[in-house]
Parts: sequence; structure tokens; C-alpha cells
Amino acid sequence: MGTTESCRNELRSAIRQLSDRCLYSASKWAAEQLVGIEQDPAKFTSSHTRFQRGSSSIRRRFRTNEITSTPTAGVSYVSTPVPEEDNDAVDSDFYLLAKSYFDCREYRRAAHVLRDQTGKKAVFLRCYALYLAGEKRKEEEMIELEGPLGKSDAVNRELVSLERELSTLRKNGMIDPFGLYLYGLVLKEKGSENLARTVLVESVNSYPWNWNAWSELQSLCTTIETLNSLNLNNHWMKDFFLAGALQELRMHSESLAKYEYLQGSFSFSNYIQAQIAKAQYSLREFEQVEVIFEELLRNDPYRVEDMDMYSNVLYAKECFPALSYLAHRVFLTDKYRPESCCIIGNYYSLKGQHEKSVMYFRRALKLNKNYLSAWTLMGHEYVEMKNTPAAVDAYRRAVDINPCDYRAWYGLGQAYEMMGMPFYALHYFRKSVFLQPGDSRLWIAMAHCYETERLHMPEEAIKCYLRAENCNDREAIASSPTCKAA
Amino acid sequence: MAGIFKPPGAFTITPHKVSMCILLQIYAPPAQISVPFPFSSVSQHNRLGLFLLALAKSCDDILELKLDELITQLREIGGLLNHWLSDHLTRRLSSLSSPDDLFNFFSDLRGILGGPDSSVVDDDQIILDPNSNLGMFLRRCLLAFNLLSFEGVCHLLSNIGTYCKEALSSCPPYELPRSDDSANDLEALLEYENMDLENFVFEKVSEEIEAKKRATERVSFHNHAPRALFGLVEDIEVSAGMKLTHSDKPREVSPFVHPSNDTLGGVDPPGVFLRTNWQIQGYLLEQADAIEKHGSSFPLNAFESILKQLQKLAPELHRVHFLRYLNSLYHDDYPAALENLHRYFDYSAGTEGFEFAPPSSPGCNSFGRYEIALLCLGMMHFHFGHPKQALKVLTEAVRVSQQHSDDTCLAYTLSAICNLLPEVRISSTTGILGSSFSPVASIGTSLSIQQQLFVLLRRSLKRAESLKLKRLVASNHLAMAKFDLTHVQRPLLSFGPKASMKLRTWPANVCKELRCSSHIISDFAMESSIMTTDGTFSTAWVKNLQKPMGSLIFSQDNGTGSNSDAFHFCAQPSSIPGSVLQLVGSSYVVRATAWELYGSAPLARLNALVYATCFTDSSSSADLALAYAKLIQHLAFFKGYREAFAALKIAEEKFLSVSKSRILLLKLQLLHERSLHRGHLKVAQQLCDELGVLASSVTGVDMELKTEASLRHARTLLAANQFNQAAAVAHSLFCMCYKFNLQVENANVLLLLAEIHKRSGNAVLGIPYALASLSFCQSFNLDLFKASATLTLAELWLSLGSNHTERASTLIHGAFPMILGHGGLELRGRAYIAEAKCYLSDPSFSVFEDPEVVLDPLRQASEELQVLEYHELAAEAFYLMAIVFDKLGRLEEREEAAASFKKHMIALENPQDEEDTFIDIISLG
Repeated sequence: MGTTESCRNELRSAIRQLSDRCLYSASKWAAEQLVGIEQDPAKFTSSHTRFQRGSSSIRRRFRTNEITSTPTAGVSYVSTPVPEEDNDAVDSDFYLLAKSYFDCREYRRAAHVLRDQTGKKAVFLRCYALYLAGEKRKEEEMIELEGPLGKSDAVNRELVSLERELSTLRKNGMIDPFGLYLYGLVLKEKGSENLARTVLVESVNSYPWNWNAWSELQSLCTTIETLNSLNLNNHWMKDFFLAGALQELRMHSESLAKYEYLQGSFSFSNYIQAQIAKAQYSLREFEQVEVIFEELLRNDPYRVEDMDMYSNVLYAKECFPALSYLAHRVFLTDKYRPESCCIIGNYYSLKGQHEKSVMYFRRALKLNKNYLSAWTLMGHEYVEMKNTPAAVDAYRRAVDINPCDYRAWYGLGQAYEMMGMPFYALHYFRKSVFLQPGDSRLWIAMAHCYETERLHMPEEAIKCYLRAENCNDREAIASSPTCKAA
Repeated sequence: MAGIFKPPGAFTITPHKVSMCILLQIYAPPAQISVPFPFSSVSQHNRLGLFLLALAKSCDDILELKLDELITQLREIGGLLNHWLSDHLTRRLSSLSSPDDLFNFFSDLRGILGGPDSSVVDDDQIILDPNSNLGMFLRRCLLAFNLLSFEGVCHLLSNIGTYCKEALSSCPPYELPRSDDSANDLEALLEYENMDLENFVFEKVSEEIEAKKRATERVSFHNHAPRALFGLVEDIEVSAGMKLTHSDKPREVSPFVHPSNDTLGGVDPPGVFLRTNWQIQGYLLEQADAIEKHGSSFPLNAFESILKQLQKLAPELHRVHFLRYLNSLYHDDYPAALENLHRYFDYSAGTEGFEFAPPSSPGCNSFGRYEIALLCLGMMHFHFGHPKQALKVLTEAVRVSQQHSDDTCLAYTLSAICNLLPEVRISSTTGILGSSFSPVASIGTSLSIQQQLFVLLRRSLKRAESLKLKRLVASNHLAMAKFDLTHVQRPLLSFGPKASMKLRTWPANVCKELRCSSHIISDFAMESSIMTTDGTFSTAWVKNLQKPMGSLIFSQDNGTGSNSDAFHFCAQPSSIPGSVLQLVGSSYVVRATAWELYGSAPLARLNALVYATCFTDSSSSADLALAYAKLIQHLAFFKGYREAFAALKIAEEKFLSVSKSRILLLKLQLLHERSLHRGHLKVAQQLCDELGVLASSVTGVDMELKTEASLRHARTLLAANQFNQAAAVAHSLFCMCYKFNLQVENANVLLLLAEIHKRSGNAVLGIPYALASLSFCQSFNLDLFKASATLTLAELWLSLGSNHTERASTLIHGAFPMILGHGGLELRGRAYIAEAKCYLSDPSFSVFEDPEVVLDPLRQASEELQVLEYHELAAEAFYLMAIVFDKLGRLEEREEAAASFKKHMIALENPQDEEDTFIDIISLG
């Protein structure tokens, strides 16, 4: 990894470039990491603003001298694309106008202003604006076209023309990394995943600071094989990517190790802290997760992201006051976030008011139909309410969104077991232990299933108990019945 | 939560309906002339009216016409007017360019509707009666349009745009060649010029190719959507040319369409022509039927992609998952089938029947019908040959349906178990039908598996009768018949007063059950089509839904053909549903099997023939293959191999894609038999091994196949004079049959053992086996088999010496009527030879007195055995003949017989020398 100083400089320029191109979430992410870098105590006292101004002059000088990217020894320097519009005042004026329109969410207007511009930056912004306009229209159509058979498959109508334009640009070598990112996005939406992966790799190799590109790439890596087959330059951003991708692939300890390594340089990064909490949560280290979140909230009291996980931990530990406090806080911050709804739902669930809890989970789902944990949690609530068909439905939706969600599979198994269908339930338990073989609770549930009077398959039950014991069953549930069954 | 249903049958306005409205406007213009402007005669006018009527009645159909298809249809009815009509249509459609145009169009439409008091009208006036079919249609369109939001209108407008564009890409090949017919076409051409002319040139070539392709590739489209859907359609039906877009047909890809649509197959461009829920359900139902019928020959991937598309379009239509399950089931894709089955039931909770009712309060009190899921899962395991899992699941299903007091499902589950048990041989009940198995538990577990099965069958029949599930009753009767066929009834109670019972099977019972099961057809023939709500999903779920079979079978004619009459009248459908026909059909198969067992070859053949000719349409390909196999086997027995193989070739072509099927099995059987007769023992062994690997390796599954394979193995060994090994194989086979209670097969094995002893020269040891086999035959009423056992017994006595000839000859003469009446070539040949031998070895018999007594049977035997190419026995017959001639001093004839003997002996000893025609013709699978 490069020196913290170079990291800082890279990030600073990246933030400017990203927000200049209206890639706000990427620039937000970059800014979070920038602040997260451990400050040199000596320099920390010196004026922050002056430092920044200095860096921009460094950047400019740097750009003019050496532009080629040299990914040596894990550090790669990538040229900052020269904004050609700078020279032409009129073009640049158009760009400014377009950007203002864009900022006011008037995407088509922005695209129209840039219709004749040929600069790379302008082309990117135009395409990006068109893409977003198409997305907006798609969402509107989704509601308008709701036919008798449910939701219609509204598509982003700009995708075709965008793909055509971007692919020609790429062929002619007239595309910058941002354009490549957009191209990758379009390809992904259109379902050509392999090409999308290649294009996104190209994009991040030539401009590694665009976190949006990394996260798109991450969502395209569903197996460890694809992840390993990517030909990525060795940049420090790659570590962030790998950590995230490993987490998605449920290799939690590996991912945790990566994040802890990253924390060495980005010791104040809220993002990394939250990710570590996520990994710890998956490893069921609730105490540590709680500590991390307490610290996170101290530093960033208005944070809503990832707070639903914190609420899950509080729920598991039955901390009524802390959960209610958290719910209150997020409610005041932004009540129309799925996370907030989930937290409130958790609170009601803990209070035993399952109907209300379901209502809030439903609200979360209305805000985001693919919000995985809300489906699963709602399933849990329905199980509590003894409404198994509804629970089954909710869990099933969760596994259809993400087939790797072992909790939902487990929930399905439980629901069927409750209905007195142990053999049928076994299918689901099998699925869940396949995904999470290290979780003793799943093995024990499966063993219970085998053990039921109706099924009566003690040999299989014993096997399951043995597996449960092997994966360090903390509550030692497995030990006693194993003896009994054996 | 279990599914959010839209009200079924929602009437949405689509571009096709707009075109129909335009045509309606032409048909009934507000002007008051008896024959309005473009029409030259009343009949022409009426033709359009009839055409529109047919279109209006089929407006709820699954697939709507595209513009080019509509134009083609118009051309057929319009005659000279065609150009004017289609031109007007396209012109009107393309003139709709803003929402306001649409508004105006629909308010103009109001004008052609008569007022409520339009009962008094002038003869000259053409006004649509608002209560007529066309008037109703128009009113529905108007209402649907008025209900549209502004966004909806905008979407309709853009859909009309796509609709026109798609048609334009395929119109020119039809239109241009005739362009100089009428003056109107000049206008048309001009109009086309205004549009994308440059595309035409490019398009023309490709479209012509497509059109040719389409003409050849069109498959017949059987549309048997549920009755409810076609409630409107009584007798007039739009001709098949209209149903162009069948899913199997490769879709014509037009460059105008969004490229992502290419994956769509035959469904729709996204969002353009939304169908109603009922339409899609009907489509799915019909496809499900097709899958069950065609089995693995159904196109897997094509249908899968359609289903995926449907799922995307209608995520709340869970039936799609069931279809995916069926599709993967019939293509033997276990993981996919399992996954889709679970997904379907997770979503639908088993409550989504065809006649589903929207759950009043989402899931609060309704607990779903997950027992149906268990039933299906059980059937699936059964299909894949996992008997233990299947039984476990079905037991669970029994318990859950009792818990939820779901009697219907219980009845179906019980009969599923009844069907499962005889197929899957289970040696003992322990661990499978344990004490928890409630239906049987009450009687106690001391009963054998057969007795349990019997009890189950009786109960399931009673239950089905009390629930008035007619199909189930019929199928239970069938199962009962099958049971009676091979099982001896024993008293159920092991204590108490015992009625004296003969330990025999009762053919009369079998006949009775079969007759009862056929009664169903009269039940259905009498009652008209009322939707019965059996609504249970087994794999037979679809079968059990009533649908008018054959009512809407269209003869497919290609759209470019010269069919002047655009619609033809279908006859009133017979009201017998396909599932019922299938049941009745299978009763004929069981009849054939029964007669085969009882030994009446002609009756068996007759029943198989009836099935193959009358029930082809409604039966699945597997059942049909079985019937064919029976017929071909019959041929082989009675007419020799040449004819059998010729028939087999035809059958193989018919069942091309069915790989691991009856036909393959039959081929192996025939080839094996033949190579045994001709003495190709190596080939025989190889064939026998191939037969063996067809069986599943799970114990208790494919028992028939397994016994067959080892029986043939023993016979091959016997033919090779490996008596010890043959006896060992036969012995272990007997043990297996005994273990799994295969009594009929036992008779067979015992007879084989007798044969082995006879051939090895231990006739004394053979006799008990033959006698045992005889008693088995008696108690199971296996008459033909009994005759063959008697023959073996006679042969055994005969080989004991000349003092037993009389006994032997009585036995043979006793068996002769049966053998000559129903026996195959081999059996008859053997009987004749044995008879001749009897005479010859009788010391009191003299050849000189009446040589024909001996010569006649020998001649008969030699002829029949030559047809069969059974060298060994034929040689024996000729040998005996030569000796007799020698005695008689007829030297010439003696030489002839001796030459034939030599020929057969040489053929037997050098099997490789002989040119092997059949093996060449029929390559081994």
C-alpha cells in the first residue's frame, strides 16, 4: 500500500472528479475513506483548508508531468483526465448548466444541453443522465403498467441506445474509465454479465477510485472462481473490493482479516468499522458487534446505514432500552428509510407486538421490495403469530431474492416443521446447512426433525448431532441428546 | 400473503381490439344505407360481420392476432375488398398519433351503437344493437378505454405504434405482388413510402424466408383451454390460421423490436399485449397437458424460456413454477424438479387451484393445503424411483390431511400409496409402514404387506365413493383389478371363525372391477360439462380438471393457403374429458395384461388393439408404447420374428425420442429370444446384460425388469448347457421372488427349474418343480402357462422311460386344446414333437399302421419352428421325421428330412456363419 499521504492525495482528487461527474455516492464513499485515514498528529493541527488547496496544485502539476499509470509495487497512479472543456469557455458553460440540471434531477434536460458536446466528460454526463432518466421512467412505468397479472416488466428504454453508443466509443478507444463504468452498468442491466465484468475490470484498472464500479463488479462475482479469475491491478482499492466480495461469498473470516488489515491505514473509517461489524455479526460475535456500533454511533450519530444489523444484535440480547433508543434516533433522522422501518419492526417484535412489527416490515418492503432482511424478519414475525402460510411466503421471497440466505431457508424448515411436516422440512434444513455448515443450531434443528416420533430416523439424527458438536456448539445443546439418542 | 390475485378476466384494451373497433366502424358506419359504401353486396357485408363476430368471441383467447395476421385473415374474407379493408385499417391505425386522436376515435365509436330503444329501427339502418355480441364487445371496449388513466392511454398509443411497425415488417411480401390490382394500392404504396421504406428492401428477403419457414414448421395447435374461458364460444370458432403464434414456432424477429425481446419465444413483447389471468392459466393448463402426454419428447428449453418470461411478466402467477416442475420432472431433472416443486408450494400454499378463490383475509385463518405439496412430492419421488422417500412423504401426507381434515387429499394420497405399493416391492413393512401408519395401524401390524395393501385399497375406494370423486373411484377400481389379478385373497383375521376359502385368484373379480372402472365414461357422457371441483393437485392434477377435449381442435392451415372460408364450424364437442378417456383407456391396457396372464392371446391382442386405435389421442406416450409393445410381442409369438421386427421398426419411428422406454425393452427382449433360438449365445448374454442395466439399482424398484433380466440370464446359461450355474441363478431368482411376493413370476421360475433338471438329465428331480409350478398356475388361473407346465411335466415323464408314455400322452392331450388355441409357435412346436415322441416311444404303437399320426404333428412342428428359426427344436423334428421315413422305407423323403436336419444343425453350431439380417437392420441400442 502506498503511503498514507499519497492515498490521501489520490482520494482528494478522486472526490473532486467523481462529484464533478455527478457520481455522488462514489464520492461520498471516497470522502469517508479520506477522513478515515489516520492523521499525522503533527499535520493535523495545521489548517485543513490550506492543506487541501496545496494538494490541488500538486495534482495539477502531477498531471502535466507524468500521466501513465504505473501499477508497481501495489501502488498505481492514474492520470486525471484533462477536462477539455476547460479550454472552451462555452462548452464548459454548457457542462455547468447540464450539471446544475442534473443536480436538480432534471436528467433529460441535462442530456439535451449536452447533445452536441464531444468531450469525454460531457459524453459521460449525457449518457449517465440518460441512463438515470430511463431508470426513473422505468420505475414510473412499473406502477403505471401494473397489469392484471401483477407487475409488468418495465425496462429502461435508454439501455439499447446507450449500449450502442458506448460500445462504439469503446471500440474507437474514445472512452474514459467513467464511460466504461457506465457501459458496464448498462451491460449488467441487459444481462450480458461476462462482458460487463470485463468492462468494469477495465474501468477500475484505469481509474480505481470509483467505488460504484467496484461495487457493481462485486455484485457480478457470485462465485469464488469468478472472483479469482478477475485480472485486477494491484491497487489499495482492490483490498476494499476483495474484502467486500469475500463477505458476499460468505467467507467471513477471510473478509474480516482483510478489513482489519485495511483498518491499519484507515483507522477512522466508519465504513470499515461497519463492515467489520457485519463480518463479526455473521460470525455471531455479538458482543464485539455491539461495541463497534456503540463507537460508530458516537462518532456518527445520524448514521442510518447498517443500523438494522445493530438492532438485530440488540434484539438478540434483548436490550429493550437500547433498542428503543436506537429506534427513536433513526426515526428522527429519517423515518422513510427501510433500515429505520426494520429497526422499529424489531423493537415491536421484541415487545411482543407482532402485528405492529409486521406493519413496519411491510413499510420497509414498500420502500425497497428487495430488502432481504425485512422479508426474513417478517417471516419470523409470522411464525410467532402462528400464521405459517404467510411466513412461508415471506421466507420464500427472501430466498428468491438471495438463494444464499441461510436464515430464510432455516425459517422455511421451521415453518414446515411447525405444521407437522418434518420430512418436507428436511429439504429446507438441508439447504441451510449446506450454506452455513458451521452453525450448530442448524444441525440441531435438522437433528430434531429426524428425531421426531413421526419420522424416527435416529441414525441420521445422531449424525446431525455429531456435526453440531463438531462446530463448537456453544450452548452445548447437542451434547445431551446425543448421549440420549446414542 | 399467499399470492395477490387480480380479478380474473379483466378486459384490457389492446391494439388488436382497436383494430377490431375500426373494422366495426366499417361494418356499421353511422350512415344509413343498407349496403354501406365499400361493400358491393349484402353477402360481402355479412361475411365481414361473421368474421367480426368470430373475432369478438375469441377476444378472450390466450394469444391475440398480430396486425399482419389480421390482415391475412381479412384478405381471405374480403375478396376484392381486402385491399381497401386492410389499407383502411392500417391508415386508421397509423393516423392515431396523439392521445386526443384516441379520445376522438372512441367517442366516434359511440355513434354506431344504437340507443336503448333501438328495438324499432328501419330496415335500412345499420345500427349495432347494444345487447348483441358485437354491441357488447364495443361497449366493453368503450368502458375499458374510459377506465384508462392518462398514462394508460399513452401506453396504448405507443403499443399501437409497435403493433403497426411489427406488421409493416411482414406485410410487403403479401401486399406488393398484388399492388396493381386496384387503384387503392397506389395510395397504399405512397403510404408505405412515407414510412420506413429503406427497411422494406432489407426486410422483404428475410421475411419471405421466414414465411416459408413458418409454412412448414407450423405444428397443429390443440387448444383445449378450460370451458369457462370459452363460455362464449359455442359453435363458431376462428380458424387456426389465426392462432399463429404458437409457442413452438420460432418467432419472426423483426428489427424494430427491442433486441432483448428475442428471448421471448412465442409470448409477447414486454407489456404490449397483456393477457388476463384466465387466459394465461388456460394456456398453462394446456401446456401441462401436453407435457404429461408427450413426456420427455416435449421441448424442454424452449418451454422453459417461455415460462421464465411469463414469470417475469406475472410474478404473482405461481402456476408457472408448477409448470416448470412438470417440465423438469418429465425430463428427469431431479434437482430442478425438487426446487420448483418446493417453490411452487411455498408460494401458493396449495390453495391456488384453477378455481381459486382470492383468500378473504390474507392467511389469517386459512392454513394452506400443504398436504397437497406432500402428495406431489411423494409422486415425484415415486417417479424418480425413490420408494422409501415416497412412502415417507405420503405417510406424512396422510397424517397432515387427517389433521386438516382434507378428505379429498386423503383419498388421493391413499390411492397414490395403493399405486405405489404394487409397483415398489417391499419385502417387509418394518421401518416403512411403522406403527405410526395410521390407516393400517388399527388392524395391527401382523398383516403382510399384501393384506395391508388390500385393506388400503378397500378403504381408499370407499372414501372415494363417499366423496363422489368419480375419477378416483375409477382409478381405484383399476388398482383393485390389478391387485386381484396377481393376489390370492386370504382371510384377514388370523383367528375366529374362518369361512372356507379357496386359495385362488378370481378372474371374475378382475372383470367386475374393470367393468366398474369403465362405468365412469357413462357418468361423464351423460352429464354435461359442469366444472367439478375435485381441485386437487396430484401429478394427475391437471388431468382431473375438466376441459373440453377436442372441442377446439383446429386443423392447422397455413395463413398463406387458399382457404377461402376463414372460419369453419366445429362440431359440438363430446363432453368426455381427456382424463376420463385416459382412465378408460388404461382399463383396456389392464384388460390386455389380464388376458395375457390368463392365457388368451386373441383377447389380449384385441384389447391392446382397441387401446392403440381408440385412445391414442388421450393417452400418454408411455402407455401407448406399452400397447404397441404388447401387439408386437404377440406378432413375435405367433408370426415369427420377421414380422415382429418389421412392426418394431414402425414403432421405433413413432416413439423416436422416448429413450428408456418400453420399445427399447421390447427390442432387447425380442433380440434375446431370437438369438437364443438361433444359438447365438454370446449375443444373447450381451443382450441380457443390457436388459439388466436398464433397471434401477435401488432395491424394490423395477422389479419386473430385474426378474426378467435374471430369468433370461438363467435361460441363456441353460442354452449353453451350464446347468449348475443356470440352476443357481434360477434359485436365487426364486428366493427374490418369494421375498417380494412375486407369485406369478415364481411359477415361471419353478418351470424353468424343472426345465433345467430335464435338460441336465435329472427328470426325477424336475418333476416336483413342474408340479409346484402347476399348482401356482392353478391358483392364479394362468391357463396358458399351466398348459406349458403340463407339457414340461409330460416331457419329464417321457424321459423317465417307456412305461410312463401313457401318462405323458394323457397329459399332452389334456393340454392340447389350450396350446393349439392360444399357444405361440414355440409352444405348439414343442407340443407336437412331444406328442410324436409319445407315440414313438410307446411300445404298443407301430408306425406302419398309421404313419400320419406321427408324421403330421412332426410336419406341423417343423413348419412352425422354421418360421421361428428355432434351430434346435426344428432339427429334432426333422431328425424324428427322417427316422420315421427310414422305418417306412420312403428313402427320398428321408433324405430330404435328413438334409433339413443337417442344415439346422450346422446353423446351430456355427451361428456366426449365418448372415444376420436383423442385427444389421436393427442396430443395438
